[in-house]
Amino acid sequence: MPGVEGFSPQGMLHEGWTAEVEYYAIVCGWTLGGKALLVGDVAGGLYSFEGKSGTPLWQKKEVHKGGLLALSIHPDGDIFATSGQDGRVLIWNSEEGESTNVIELGDGWVEHLRWSPDGRFLAVAFSRRVHVYGIDGHEHWKSGEHPSTVSSIAWSKSNELASACYGRVTFFDVVSDKINQMLEWRGSLVSMVLSPDGDIVACGSQDNSVHFWRRSTEEDSEMTGYPGKPSHLAFYQTGTVLATGGSDRVTVWSFQDDGPEGTVPGELMLHTEPISCLAFSHSGMLLASGARDGSVFSWFLQADGQGDPVGGAFSGDLVSQIAWHPDDTALAAINANGGITVWEFKVRTKTSPQGFE
Amino acid sequence: MTPEQKVPVTILTGFLGSGKTTLLNRILSEEHGKRIAVIENEYGEVGIDQGLVINADEEVFEMSNGCICCTVRGDLIRVLGNLMKRRDKFDYVLVETTGLADPGPVAQTFFMDDEIRNEFSLDGIVTLVDAAHIDQQLGRSDESSEQVAFADVLVLNKTDLVSDESLDILESRLRDMNRMARVVRSKQADVPIDTVLNLSAFDLDQVLKRRPTFLEPEYPFEWTGVFSLEKGRHELSLEEGPDPTMSLVVLEDQGIDEAALNAGAESCVRLYSNSAELLHPGSTVPIEKHVSLQLQSNGRKSFFLELDNAQQIGLFTQHTAEEFDIQVARVDSSITKTKSDGKNESVIQPDNERIWVAEHEHDDEVGSIAIERLGDVDPEKLNKWLSRLLSEKGVDIFRTKGFISYAGESRRMVFQGVHMLFTAQPDKEWGSEPRHNQLVFIGRNLDEKEMCREFDKCLV
Repeated sequence: MPGVEGFSPQGMLHEGWTAEVEYYAIVCGWTLGGKALLVGDVAGGLYSFEGKSGTPLWQKKEVHKGGLLALSIHPDGDIFATSGQDGRVLIWNSEEGESTNVIELGDGWVEHLRWSPDGRFLAVAFSRRVHVYGIDGHEHWKSGEHPSTVSSIAWSKSNELASACYGRVTFFDVVSDKINQMLEWRGSLVSMVLSPDGDIVACGSQDNSVHFWRRSTEEDSEMTGYPGKPSHLAFYQTGTVLATGGSDRVTVWSFQDDGPEGTVPGELMLHTEPISCLAFSHSGMLLASGARDGSVFSWFLQADGQGDPVGGAFSGDLVSQIAWHPDDTALAAINANGGITVWEFKVRTKTSPQGFE
Repeated sequence: MTPEQKVPVTILTGFLGSGKTTLLNRILSEEHGKRIAVIENEYGEVGIDQGLVINADEEVFEMSNGCICCTVRGDLIRVLGNLMKRRDKFDYVLVETTGLADPGPVAQTFFMDDEIRNEFSLDGIVTLVDAAHIDQQLGRSDESSEQVAFADVLVLNKTDLVSDESLDILESRLRDMNRMARVVRSKQADVPIDTVLNLSAFDLDQVLKRRPTFLEPEYPFEWTGVFSLEKGRHELSLEEGPDPTMSLVVLEDQGIDEAALNAGAESCVRLYSNSAELLHPGSTVPIEKHVSLQLQSNGRKSFFLELDNAQQIGLFTQHTAEEFDIQVARVDSSITKTKSDGKNESVIQPDNERIWVAEHEHDDEVGSIAIERLGDVDPEKLNKWLSRLLSEKGVDIFRTKGFISYAGESRRMVFQGVHMLFTAQPDKEWGSEPRHNQLVFIGRNLDEKEMCREFDKCLV
């Protein structure tokens, strides 16, 4: 990779294990309460590794004809769903890697999947509609046609689903089948995250800005000045801080007091190429970021959006996704070359191995 | 990512029935060693059975700022964003659009989206034209004229359904609209693959390497007549025409085949670039000199040609022979004395005639403007003018291409733009070549005189 030389893990990131899959690794996540790491490649290969050692547990090839597009792991970690270019959604058990249900949507790409927070529903974006299924694969609900292809979906509550497409964000009550709210803005929304309390909707936009709304007031704002498209967004658990990509630095907006309008964001600078993924830890104000240059950093953030690096590592190629272990003791990264790296995340007690003892 | 690693993309446009699917199938079935991914619109004419084919809805995304150059194709960003992860499966992309598509947002997608720009390079825009129906289509819809205007290659298809004469007229109309494009004729979209793929049409270095002047020739003369004349004196007579003067160049030993006519035309272009010598009626016309015949007086006016030996001579005239009723006749005062008054004349018919691409024959809203000037320009003035021009008229200017000689810069600056998007980069050293500028604008309702005047103000 240009711009960056390989380097060994630093700070709180420690050597863990590495593995490889055949093609560009696009999705990953921890299953079975963190006992296994699941990785999917672009050609439709699925791989499960033992979480601590990296020992392969099982693997499947070409689970979606044409290629795999999305993965969502059920909140309890025992099952997960995949979708692909074949217009199908598959539901799997994590332990054996057996497909338990098949949902056929038709001719087209299925690009987005999300389990509801209570695990009852699986939301699926297919072209201009969103469908909601139960664990058994039966359809519970589907939306009307959106004005353009749905670009992102997210659950605000266990029965309320948000969808983003060109020009609007819509909130659907999927149980009583009604539209709760529609937020409109003429722009191409390419990504969406909701604050954990559900009040703030943040969308990355094609015109190199982040657009957000506060649902309670329907007021909206736009954060501009990004050199690139901020496709990657992540909210801190309390919703006070939003981390965004869109350049080679992580831009962090703080929602405390009257922010972020009129405030200066925190900027985390160590990557040499644009940010390609962002993830907050499950507890604590720790952010992990990966970039096109293959570098991965973890940051300790403050409430005002400023932050300091606490760990760094090199994954070898464009980092396509990063995932914190459920208890935040490890960080997994997958890359465009099919590389998988898992680092232990812990305090480095000694500065040099020859120190004490 | 270096440019070599980027995947080339060809955009294939054209109205329904123009033969896009035929051409696509031909490209896919031919042995060219490329693995091509096709992104096809959902309402394709016929299904395509080979290769990696992805369907996409044409989704045009405008931005809240209302800027036309920010308008992109959302479906392409989505599909290409995924395709770039499948580099193992293909090494070329073809994007087919519907006949109703505006090529602007398609092209802009490759410049405006940083992720797409990093991985793909727009290779060229190929527009298929149904020779039998394009005349009506051009009159009826903006999209079809925009597709012609954006093209790097115009495939004039279904030529077997139209007479040669209509084809010539049509081709001249298309050339008026888009002087940058190469025009290729075909019956069933059976064009050689290398005329549509790997054009590097957006890589100006490449374009200029292959075609040092990428303008299609548009000659300063409209008519050529080749006459077999004997040794001696001949009369060239003309009636009054639309203009008080007419430029003329006479070439010796002019052949009548296509190659000879083209060679003659090219050497004439050089002669035409010299200022013309004014000739009054009764004068002898010099050979291989640019002259301007003075035709103001009433009645038929005569000029003379003196030949030392019998040969074919070529007349390259600013206007067609018809307009001034040009006649060549032998004036025989010494050898043949067939008539008593000594002013014997016999009109000689040309061995061959040729009408060259006529300028501004049609009133299409969409047209090309070419500015060609010798000398250097002031970079600051030019920049100011272009920025203003593109911000005011960017919506109507579809494409811009050209090269410029900056004062104080030893290298040629190459330019290209799509709507308001615009790039300039230094190219080769000028060396001993005379400094000159060539800019082409293709757009709607452009004011040629105004633009030339503004450009001239930028000259040093």
